[in-house]
Amino acid sequence: MTEAASPASGPPPSHRQLFIGMLQVALSAFGGGLSAWSQRIVVEQHRWLTNEQFLTGLTVARLFPGPNQINMAVYIGAHFHGIRGAMAALAGMLIVPFSLLMGLGVLYFSVHELPAVDRVLAGVVAAAAGMALSMGFKILDQYWKDPVALLLAAASFVAMQVFHVRLVPLVLIAGPLAMAWYWPRRRQEMPAAEEKP
Amino acid sequence: MSLIPSLQAAATVLHATGTQAEAAVSGDIAMACQATDLGDWRNLVAVIWDFLSLSLFSLGGGNTLLSEYHYLSVSKYCWLTSSQFADIYALAEAAPGPSSMIVGLLGLGAAWKEGPFWGVLSGFTAEAAILLPSTLVMVVACLSWNRMRDSPWRIAFERAMGPITLGILFAVGLKILHTADTNTPGVIVSVVVCILMLRTRISPLWFMAVAGVLGAFGVINR
Repeated sequence: MTEAASPASGPPPSHRQLFIGMLQVALSAFGGGLSAWSQRIVVEQHRWLTNEQFLTGLTVARLFPGPNQINMAVYIGAHFHGIRGAMAALAGMLIVPFSLLMGLGVLYFSVHELPAVDRVLAGVVAAAAGMALSMGFKILDQYWKDPVALLLAAASFVAMQVFHVRLVPLVLIAGPLAMAWYWPRRRQEMPAAEEKP
Repeated sequence: MSLIPSLQAAATVLHATGTQAEAAVSGDIAMACQATDLGDWRNLVAVIWDFLSLSLFSLGGGNTLLSEYHYLSVSKYCWLTSSQFADIYALAEAAPGPSSMIVGLLGLGAAWKEGPFWGVLSGFTAEAAILLPSTLVMVVACLSWNRMRDSPWRIAFERAMGPITLGILFAVGLKILHTADTNTPGVIVSVVVCILMLRTRISPLWFMAVAGVLGAFGVINR
């Protein structure tokens, strides 16, 4: 997983190419699967990164705060041109979906008081709530064999759900305690990057 | 920018942290609170500060922040009603692109009464504020990853944040379900969608479309 292990065969992209490449990813990914599209376009089509470099990027993107897809764009941009490359990639990734969402938002705030619209939305919201419910279950499997992890998860859940502790104090208190527990005691292997949808 | 408003903003945040429990409880029931006026630039600074400071706590791809977004926009600043928040969450999930762009919609809602232009500008500002700190950290992380990779700090951080994220995501899921506040058929649909999300690879857009039809016919209401 070293970045210099096997250089990708394509020429490094310019700022403009980064912008256009990420725009391409954003446009291809209508209907989901952003990370699969980004791999297809960045690794297979343009050969900017090797597959290994791409997977390292996903690991870093998931580890650090911020939306994964946006962090991934930052990783790709920064890999070639530092902060300016990150900005170019980020702009390409965000401009179309964000404009579209703002358009949808303007439409929503203009018409949401109409009874017909509100009725449809009541249904859509029920489905969206189901999607929100599934988020925790999606990552539950990987912690199933670690009782301390389950205890930590349960404690965080109860703190938020029952005692209405806000996110920031919760993370600031539980984070360091958990880090102390999970501090590597001997040299351990680097956890492999896992592909998640 | 002078120091005093920033301190006030920080104090607002600290105060909010202190009175969290009452606010979270009362905010859900009563909609009587007054929408914060963003025309006053001190309020604007306080709001931007709130989003900037949340940015670095967006674990697990950003979904852990949804409860905080609800707290800020419904309970603390009163820009949206709880059901508008649920609508906006559904919109952000349905639209293409990262669902964390919901922050842009919150900003839009915050300034909507000033007209679409200010609404969109406000949405853009909110999105920029929530993305800026995490993006800067990500740039630094990318440039120094080779040194950071084997650091015990990195390993401990990664292992520690996973379980905390897990607990938070369950709480966030329940919070959204509570916010959706639909009738019994609606809750059944939510549970079925949750199971289908886990067991199948059907695009969630289908679930939303079918549920939208059920809503139009009055099967699901709130």
